[in-house]
Amino acid sequence: MGEQVLLLNRQPDRPLSLEEYRQSGGYEALMAAVGKRTPEELRQLVLASGLRGRGGAGFPAGKKWSFIGKGHPRYLIPNTDEMEPGTFKDRVLVNVNPHLVLEGIILSAYAISAAKGIFFIRPSYEMDAELIERELGVAREAGFLGENILGSDFSFDLVVHRSAGRYICGEASAQVNAIMGRRPHPNKEVHMTDAGLWGKPTIVNNVETLACVPAILRKGPDWFKGLARSKDGAGTKLFCVSGRVNRPGCYEMPMGTPFNEILDEAGGMSPGSELKAFLPGGASTSFMPPKFSQVQMDFEPLKETGNRLGTGAIMVFDQNTCLVGATLNLLDYFTRESCGFCTPCREGLPFIRDLLLRLEHGEGKEEFIPMLKQMAHHMFKAYCAFAPGAASPVLGLLHHFEAEIREHISQRQCPFKGK
Amino acid sequence: MSTLPPELQTELAQQVAAADHPREQVINIMYVLQKHYGYMSDEAVEEAAALLDMTPLEVEELATFYDFIYREAVGKFVIHVCDGVVCWMFHEGSVFDYLCEKLGVCAGGVSADGMFTVLPSACLGFCDHAPAMLINGVFYGHLNPEKIDAILEKLRREYCDLVICR
Amino acid sequence: MPTLRIDQREISVPQGTKVIEAAEKLGIMIPRFCYHPALGSLGACRMCAVKFMEGPVKGVEMSCMVEAADGMVVSTTDPEAMEFRRYVIEWLMLNHPHDCPICDAGGQCLLQDETVSGGHGLRRYQGLKRTFEDQYLGEFVQHEMNRCIHCWRCRRFYQEFAGYFDYGAMQIGNRMYFGRFAPGPLESPFAGNIIDLCPTGVLTDKPSRYKGRRWDLQRGPSLCLHCSLGCNLVGSARYREMIRVEARFHGAVNGYFICDRGRYGFAYANHPDRPRQARVGEEAAPLDQALKTAAQRLGQIRERYGPGAVAAWGSTRSSLETLGMLQWLCQDQGWRGPQFFPQASLARRVKAAVARLDTGMAVSLRDLENADFIVVAGADPVQEAPMLALALRQAARRGATVAVIDPRPVFLPLEYEHLPVSPGDIDLCLNLLSQAARSEEAATGKLEPDAARFYGLLTSTNLEDPLLQERLLALGRKLQDCLRPVIVCNTDMVRETTPARAADQARLLQADKGQAGLFYLLPGPNAYGAALLAGREEVDLLAAMEQGGVKALVVVENDPLGSCPDQERLLRALDNLELLVGLDYLPSATAARSQIFLPTTTVFEKEFSHFINQEGRLQQAVPLHQGGTPIIQVGQGSHPPRTFLDAIPGGEPRPGAGILADLAAALSGEPAPPTAGDLWDYLSGEHEGFSQLASLTASALGEGVHLLPAEAQEPAWSPEPGEKPPEPPAGQLELLLVDQTFGTEELGSYAAPLQKVEEEPHLLLHTDLAADLGLAPGEQVALLLPGGEVTVRLQTAQNMAPGVAIMPRHRRLHWQKTGDGPVWLPPENIKKLSEPL
Ligand SMILES: Cc1cc2nc3c(=O)[nH]c(=O)nc-3n(C[C@H](O)[C@H](O)[C@H](O)COP(=O)(O)O)c2cc1C
Ligand code: SF4
Ligand code: SF4
Ligand code: SF4
Ligand code: FES
Ligand code: FES
Repeated sequence: MGEQVLLLNRQPDRPLSLEEYRQSGGYEALMAAVGKRTPEELRQLVLASGLRGRGGAGFPAGKKWSFIGKGHPRYLIPNTDEMEPGTFKDRVLVNVNPHLVLEGIILSAYAISAAKGIFFIRPSYEMDAELIERELGVAREAGFLGENILGSDFSFDLVVHRSAGRYICGEASAQVNAIMGRRPHPNKEVHMTDAGLWGKPTIVNNVETLACVPAILRKGPDWFKGLARSKDGAGTKLFCVSGRVNRPGCYEMPMGTPFNEILDEAGGMSPGSELKAFLPGGASTSFMPPKFSQVQMDFEPLKETGNRLGTGAIMVFDQNTCLVGATLNLLDYFTRESCGFCTPCREGLPFIRDLLLRLEHGEGKEEFIPMLKQMAHHMFKAYCAFAPGAASPVLGLLHHFEAEIREHISQRQCPFKGK
Repeated sequence: MSTLPPELQTELAQQVAAADHPREQVINIMYVLQKHYGYMSDEAVEEAAALLDMTPLEVEELATFYDFIYREAVGKFVIHVCDGVVCWMFHEGSVFDYLCEKLGVCAGGVSADGMFTVLPSACLGFCDHAPAMLINGVFYGHLNPEKIDAILEKLRREYCDLVICR
Repeated sequence: MPTLRIDQREISVPQGTKVIEAAEKLGIMIPRFCYHPALGSLGACRMCAVKFMEGPVKGVEMSCMVEAADGMVVSTTDPEAMEFRRYVIEWLMLNHPHDCPICDAGGQCLLQDETVSGGHGLRRYQGLKRTFEDQYLGEFVQHEMNRCIHCWRCRRFYQEFAGYFDYGAMQIGNRMYFGRFAPGPLESPFAGNIIDLCPTGVLTDKPSRYKGRRWDLQRGPSLCLHCSLGCNLVGSARYREMIRVEARFHGAVNGYFICDRGRYGFAYANHPDRPRQARVGEEAAPLDQALKTAAQRLGQIRERYGPGAVAAWGSTRSSLETLGMLQWLCQDQGWRGPQFFPQASLARRVKAAVARLDTGMAVSLRDLENADFIVVAGADPVQEAPMLALALRQAARRGATVAVIDPRPVFLPLEYEHLPVSPGDIDLCLNLLSQAARSEEAATGKLEPDAARFYGLLTSTNLEDPLLQERLLALGRKLQDCLRPVIVCNTDMVRETTPARAADQARLLQADKGQAGLFYLLPGPNAYGAALLAGREEVDLLAAMEQGGVKALVVVENDPLGSCPDQERLLRALDNLELLVGLDYLPSATAARSQIFLPTTTVFEKEFSHFINQEGRLQQAVPLHQGGTPIIQVGQGSHPPRTFLDAIPGGEPRPGAGILADLAAALSGEPAPPTAGDLWDYLSGEHEGFSQLASLTASALGEGVHLLPAEAQEPAWSPEPGEKPPEPPAGQLELLLVDQTFGTEELGSYAAPLQKVEEEPHLLLHTDLAADLGLAPGEQVALLLPGGEVTVRLQTAQNMAPGVAIMPRHRRLHWQKTGDGPVWLPPENIKKLSEPL
């Protein structure tokens, strides 16, 4: 399983308390940093650690922070929207150790001199929102949050923003719009780091990203880099494994752990199931057939295969699952969640979905295949990363499972129906 | 004029006034009003607009965008049945169909006793317990008909307060 | 200036130009839906995709989102880009109802054009179309949501550009719905622009619904006459009926937009009672004959009483041709006048304003958008000159501070500061603002001597209300840091001193900052021209008529019975006349009372005409059609009579200028009057403000020119800037007669579509005052005016000056009972009539 950094001392049925967290070094990094190290030093350390964003895009966190604009107040938005299908790592993380998350947030806020944080959380995580709100109070009591943290001149407070539920709200610029009470469409015309929330410098980071920060500061960037098993990787990663496996769940393993080892960690395939395909990082990634079992689960190695690490949410499909049906299910989701701002996604996804639906119902035609290919490729010219994400499983299906599509066409029905 | 109880009206007005930017409260206000009215009725939209110094249209632009704001009447408990791909893999829609049949409703409808509404929902983030559903902030996993029956029974029988995001 | 190649052609464009705009400069129209020059880029429709072959950007990208850069090589015809664009249009058509045959956008539809040019001809999508229910959006905009392609233009204009928030985007994904929270009239007086903007048939022009395809229409460039801004229009006529008006781009004036008054006011031209026939006494007569009779009778009167016994009264809604000819006629015949304004005080205010404008001072609407501090003094933009409000909003969006000093409860669709002071305090506020904006030392040290002397003359009495005083001073301090201030001032309800004072302060700001602008509003589309023609001399025809010196009055495109504030007095004076000759195209009270009536054409008919807007810009209106009684009226809704005529039914009216020229010829017995060309010569000799006219080419006239002098005609500074204008007697209220967006403006009040949307007439009092008087909003009150009683419904407002009563010059209100000048009223003159309804 490797070294546990984020899920250290994980309890099966309850979150760790502040005291428990402090017993294993919790908040030490904060005490060593605030008022003692400059924000710039923190940013450098995080940059040197090679920490890459865990929200899906894998952007180096330290680099993003270095872009922070000059204005004040500055905002930090810990992103716990987690609506990428198959993904539940942030929920697990918050539930295992809320104070680790909070310390990560406070340290990161210090690094970018943010005055306020907005903990953005999806509505189905209401219990977790309440948990965080409660623990926020505890941290504030302890002097880790609020005015003049630990007696320094650094003040930072965090509020919880409950979303009302839409996948696009996880996208950083849409999230900022959502918080401002505007329609949460993405906005590429402003630089978040200069003019984000309320027109002020803003950093949006995934909570898992932020939760890595305390350990980086405590044990150093080199240690963090050393945790990974891939060449240029860094740290550990929370992998959510679901589908036809024996022990679905969230596992913290070194970045770059090969897929098959993670599968083993999750207890291997369920009885009677054989690996047919997996999505390596949520619904916005591409299906991979078993020949990729050895692939190292990290940003670069997956990129080399033409795929993405995404959120590291691994969904495992077996031989009895129709992948046309699975892709149709995903497209149902994406079609429903499309924010509607741009044409390819708003109109093109329903078209793709319609073709898949017809294939699945045995009304497929040969000419659907090139149309699907063209349209899926054109999704990459949409306004935001939503549509390319939606196209990814379609491309995977077309690339690796074209034969299965053709079976649907030639048999005029789904070959899995009635099995 | 406002049909809200004065205490609630005051409380919400204070909540708005306390915010750095009133508009950042719009979703919170909608949740509270939704809880008060049972759903985000036209009246609730207008109340929210008045509280936030927005037009009803501006509130409606948001109310109709989101999944957890119900612009039509719903039962006391809204059952969000996951139709994400992992849950799909396990039940292919049967939980949803079972619930609808059991409660005698179709998607979005309200059961005769006013207790339940069933809605299909995006992956809930409970995939490790697929198939899953969410009711009043609580996850229920590894669902099967017996389990579902027991859950419904329990909800009918035992009083429980409604959470904000339900 | 980055240089790039688009489709093998090179072009250099200013930094910041988007590739789509650079291509347009080369004449390459890249398909687009969401991009609009006034709204900018959005990146939503993805229709404008092109391929970047070389340079800093590579691959297929949106040409509206990428700024032109050196070394770019762009292909609009690359197969990958073309295929993508073909898909985009196919996607947009998935849910489109394909109902072009019954869609009013058909023939002028960007979606049609781009569907064809994009190469999408065969439907491949077999799924169901999503459908929507349409909404009632009021009397102007027809809504058919199924045709929507979600380009966002309407919402971006409605909310971001224009600042109204009752129309927008609801739902999500492809269920997204553009409309209102609930069906109902759109609240913005700029709503009509979303018709022009919508690239398909969701939002179409309701009054002209099903009246013709674009190619059926006689179209041409025209001008809006519904206020003094002179917005540019495209007018459309069919079957002798004016059908529709759209905005026409003018970079300096209205940009791409117009207001709804301008868009729907044209219907006066189709008024069923429009007098289209000449008349002598009660008898209809051919125009020639009536004209001869008029000449005869006028000649007789002149012979009997001398030339001064004939007088002429024109108005500011006539073309420069008509005004000029009237002036010439008066001079030629030795008649009294012409008078161009309904009352002498208004003439003085307008002349004072026009005399202070010069090229260094006047700013256009477009300049105004770039100002960083705007003082609006004595003006209520949305009510008086709506497009001004839109320009103010653009300035505010760019960070300008907008301060409104006006007694009315002024509403603007932007962030602004309103100081509700009485008209008598506006001058003082301007003084105080000036003083707060610069320190004494700065003033004396830095300013040139004249300006410094003027500054020294400013007195500093305080406003009565300390709160207002403090807000004003705070604004003044803000003004200190601003670089491009503009003062906006109307000439309508303000004191006589105010227009000049506004100019003084603008000049002072200019002396201080090197840059400052002055922007007046004037009463009527050609008030500027009328003011120049009116010269320095004062004409008071009403007094002259009363004294019996005038025996015949020629009223040209003017309705003194509607506009004179003392109708009783006017009626008595008219009774003294032996002859009233009327020329007009409106079925006005004055026209009806004329003993001899000669019908004139509107701006849309027969001949070119010119108007000078409030910033001195001469602009041209092109005739769209020959006019005549609309066929729909001739046939009373069914097929027109099958009779054959060699003349157009109802086609007799002629341009006012032409009729006047013929009248002059008939009077003098020789065809002497200037023809169109000579008229410009004549005018250029008449006033230095017109001096450019003689040398203008036809094309310059077509495009419009600024006639402003390099230096204002009046001395730079008013002699006594501290002088306090008249105050109401203690305890009395000042009655303010004001404009409303709809319902008060003369031409528009004859337009059926506008009549449907005008507000009810009302009297407005401060909430506290009304309470003191025991009056409640909604009650009917009787207002005792010098000329009699007016019954009107009461409204109240908090954000208005306490000492005033405000009443619109509403067409349905008999307000012409006040007399000229400020009207003071004891509060007891407002009496309760009934309980609220
Ligand atoms: C459609 C869409 C949904 C997203 N949802 C999430 C999310 O739920 N949580 C998250 O952290 N990032 C999400 N992202 C990524 C964010 O835009 C952003 O890149 C991320 O929060 C940055 O954090 P990181 O750098 O720490 O990864 C989403 C992106 C897209 C395009
Ligand atoms: S791709 Fe376009 S429609 Fe889809 S979520 Fe992004 S902006 Fe919205
Ligand atoms: S209504 Fe017209 S302008 Fe508005 S989004 Fe739809 S197509 Fe565009
Ligand atoms: S602002 Fe004035 S000139 Fe412009 S369209 Fe409106 S009424 Fe006509
Ligand atoms: S797929 Fe059902 S909870 Fe994730
Ligand atoms: S015009 Fe460029 S994306 Fe719409």
